[in-house]
Amino acid sequence: MQLYNQISSVIFDALYAPFGHDFPAFDLLLWPVLMGVVALIVFKYVSNQGAIARVKKQIAMHLLEIRLFSHDIRQVLKSTLQIVGKNTIYVSHNLLPMIVMLPPMGALMVQLVTHYGYAPSEVGAVELLHLELDPASAQLAGDVSLKLPAGVSLDAPVVRTADGQVYWRVRADQPGDHVFEIAVGDEIFEKGWAVGGEARKIPVKRLRSAEALLYPSEPAIPSDAPVVSIELETLTRPLAFFPDGEGGILLWSFGVSILAALALKPVFGVTF
Amino acid sequence: MSPRTAQHPIARTILLAIVCVVWLLPGVSRARAAGESGVFIVGVDGMDPIITQRLMDEGKMPNFTKLAGEGTFQSLGTANPPQSPVAWSNFVTGMNPGGHGIFDFIHRDPANYHPLSSATPAVEDPGSGFHFFGYVFPVGAPEMKNNRGGTPWWDVLVDHDVDVEVYRIPGNFPNPPSEAKVLGGMGTVDLRGGFGTYTLYTDTVVEKKNPKGDVEYVTVHDLDLDGVPETVTSTLRGPPDTFHLEPGEIPTANQYLTQGVTVHIDGDTDTAVIEIAGQRTLIQQGEWSEWLEVSFDALPMGLMPVAGTVRFYAMELRPKLRLYASPVNLSPASPAMPITSPDEFVDEIYQNNGFFYTQGLPEETDALKDGVFDDDDYLKQVGLIQQDTHRMIDLALDRFETGDATFVYLSDIDLQSHMLWRHGDPKHADAPRHPAYRRDSAEKHAHDIENFYRDVDATLGSVRKRLPKDTLLIVMSDHGFQPFTRELHLNAWLRNKGYLVMKSGKKTGYFVTDDVDWSKTRAYGLGFNGLYLNLAGREAQGIVDAADADELMGQLIRSLEAYRDPDGGGRVVRRVARGSEIYTGDRAVEGPDLVVGYEKGYGCSDESTLGEVTEWVIEDNESRWSGNHLMDPEVVPGILLLNRKLASDGHDLTDLTATVLSYYGIEKLPGMIGEPVL
Repeated sequence: MQLYNQISSVIFDALYAPFGHDFPAFDLLLWPVLMGVVALIVFKYVSNQGAIARVKKQIAMHLLEIRLFSHDIRQVLKSTLQIVGKNTIYVSHNLLPMIVMLPPMGALMVQLVTHYGYAPSEVGAVELLHLELDPASAQLAGDVSLKLPAGVSLDAPVVRTADGQVYWRVRADQPGDHVFEIAVGDEIFEKGWAVGGEARKIPVKRLRSAEALLYPSEPAIPSDAPVVSIELETLTRPLAFFPDGEGGILLWSFGVSILAALALKPVFGVTF
Repeated sequence: MSPRTAQHPIARTILLAIVCVVWLLPGVSRARAAGESGVFIVGVDGMDPIITQRLMDEGKMPNFTKLAGEGTFQSLGTANPPQSPVAWSNFVTGMNPGGHGIFDFIHRDPANYHPLSSATPAVEDPGSGFHFFGYVFPVGAPEMKNNRGGTPWWDVLVDHDVDVEVYRIPGNFPNPPSEAKVLGGMGTVDLRGGFGTYTLYTDTVVEKKNPKGDVEYVTVHDLDLDGVPETVTSTLRGPPDTFHLEPGEIPTANQYLTQGVTVHIDGDTDTAVIEIAGQRTLIQQGEWSEWLEVSFDALPMGLMPVAGTVRFYAMELRPKLRLYASPVNLSPASPAMPITSPDEFVDEIYQNNGFFYTQGLPEETDALKDGVFDDDDYLKQVGLIQQDTHRMIDLALDRFETGDATFVYLSDIDLQSHMLWRHGDPKHADAPRHPAYRRDSAEKHAHDIENFYRDVDATLGSVRKRLPKDTLLIVMSDHGFQPFTRELHLNAWLRNKGYLVMKSGKKTGYFVTDDVDWSKTRAYGLGFNGLYLNLAGREAQGIVDAADADELMGQLIRSLEAYRDPDGGGRVVRRVARGSEIYTGDRAVEGPDLVVGYEKGYGCSDESTLGEVTEWVIEDNESRWSGNHLMDPEVVPGILLLNRKLASDGHDLTDLTATVLSYYGIEKLPGMIGEPVL
């Protein structure tokens, strides 16, 4: 998980934002289209194109049967069952290319969100920094301490809950890419906070679970750590001409790549 | 164009044609041209001319003084009765209540003598319900309508191509459709459909009987068994569970949608984290939280989320818990019902200002009246409203362009005069102490009302700095203020005088529980100033013949005006007016037969207003609701301050409506009774 995030970050940090993060349109248009093209190429060489074409024809044939023999209920039922069966075969032919495409596509979309989905907090903003301990380590809540970076102050006393959650209300006094140091027993965990300045890749949350794949801007929490998550409320970056936020960018990039693949399918001679 | 060209016959013809075309264009262009510098109106609810003049004389309101010197400052006639919904409706429509149909906060249903809110007309048929898997889907439910008749001035201006923005205008909920951008104020409901129900989470007994808010008695649990209780779980009530209610059914306490609330109190610090609907906020003792958006599911699987906003106030976290939750406001991010016209206007405000109080009267006066808040708690919450108000005025000024018409509203002085008058009469230096005066709090808060006046003065200063100099600037209030020291139980007085008869064996009771013998009752009071005859053919059990009505009204007027306070002998009622004499318009017949104008210091009790017949006729007003204006209009005029010299005085609210229209060169509509002051 951590290795995957590191690799994808190295690649996409180099590729994205060639003109800076103030021009999201370039990446949000280019990369989903390229992703669609790559998907077509992968489909062409990884999938069994002949088998896919064959099973599609068979499905079409059974659909025609239903239309022609709609008065014969037994034939309609038989054709319907055959369509279900052929569809299963069709999906199975698509599985391999989809599995091959999933890691790069996922990385590409998640990195787009990481680069363009969030805005830095404003100077003066007050946010909640939240650390969740593993239930088995909830008793460590009393031993959790926070070291504030310069430019950030504590706005209220800490709250430790009975179920192992720790909350700090922090205030951004100065702009910068601040890093909190949170000590849990002997271990130190870092958490970033982007405040002020230009649009950029923004740290959101650190997680121990597989969900960390969605937040590659900071390292995942090691699986044997007593901490489950460290989060800081992050602003959604408004994008003038594109859907914004995590869901908006994911849907946009997926939709554009599908449309690009459909449009370019004849050019690449791909069947799917 | 040279003189020579202009004299050419063809050129003259073309010129004439252009002039004709311009002249024949609909009044729109002319209206825009006539009022080309625009008008900006600051409506200050409850600002009193005597207090204002005193503070101006003392140099405490320099911006008012400066503007008065450049233009005009005078008192402004209010409505009869001088109640905010009535007075603002006068200003909005240019009519008196006989035209717009708003006669009081409370109207009565002649079919059953029950009190009704004046905001919406009585619902005769609530429709029926279609039952499906335990849910009730309403069929044929009537559309919620605003009861105010007439045409608002902003609709007339919009029809003449003037851009209008109106912020927090009282009495505009439910929002009538309009092309003007209008945000409703006083009268806009909370998510429960009422005027604001707070929630108090506490492990301490609340002394007030029947508090107006929800009191949730909770236990602070010690979940980690460290000997320090730290966790509270409870619920917050949202909107009525409509899909489990028959149409028209009034929800009981358990028929509201709820959201779970968890409070984690830190064992070492006076700080807590509150979790609700997936959101968290951290507050210290004595702090208010920011707004939290809360969604209530009216149907399963999130098919119909109803969004509201709430903020918490940690009054005390340890050793006792007193955690206050504001009434759940309609969320401006996705209001469950329209609070602006057009609907999108609220988005524009929200995008600029974020969450704000959408509840019409956001000052949490019920909490103060119930003793849940003390004065400091209350004033802290008022400070939050002031922040909202100032942000909204800034927004209005940002958006104001030459030629526009904009109205902004400030509620501070009205509500604070109601609630804080008991600490010291700001109007009468020699006034006796209010019955609700308490030395400990009075010393600290004696000048609070004055400070709110000064805040309005500062607001005026910032408005003037940003407005173009030639813009017509009007500062006006709907009424003034007086102390409220004695309350008359009008229905008890009517009973003692034999006009209202209780059923046998009863001396006290309520209209809604049918304790009154209507077959023997000739007159009854409902609303703060309304007095009705039990008229045959109009009231369901009316007994007074139309032929006897005039004589009966005469008796009531003489008797009420002659009534003297047994404690001190002062006059209680200054003037009783016949509805037929003071109201004009198609809806005059809906109003009360008599309007009771109380002497300063006196007013109708809340009990009598809602149709209760009490034992006592008159008593001290011990409530924190200690200033009032529901009296004779002559003792509570409002103010008029504008940056133009006026040749005359004696104007009233309806004259301002005519003034705004006339400023844009527009004739007033039929039924509008005012005259332009300019």
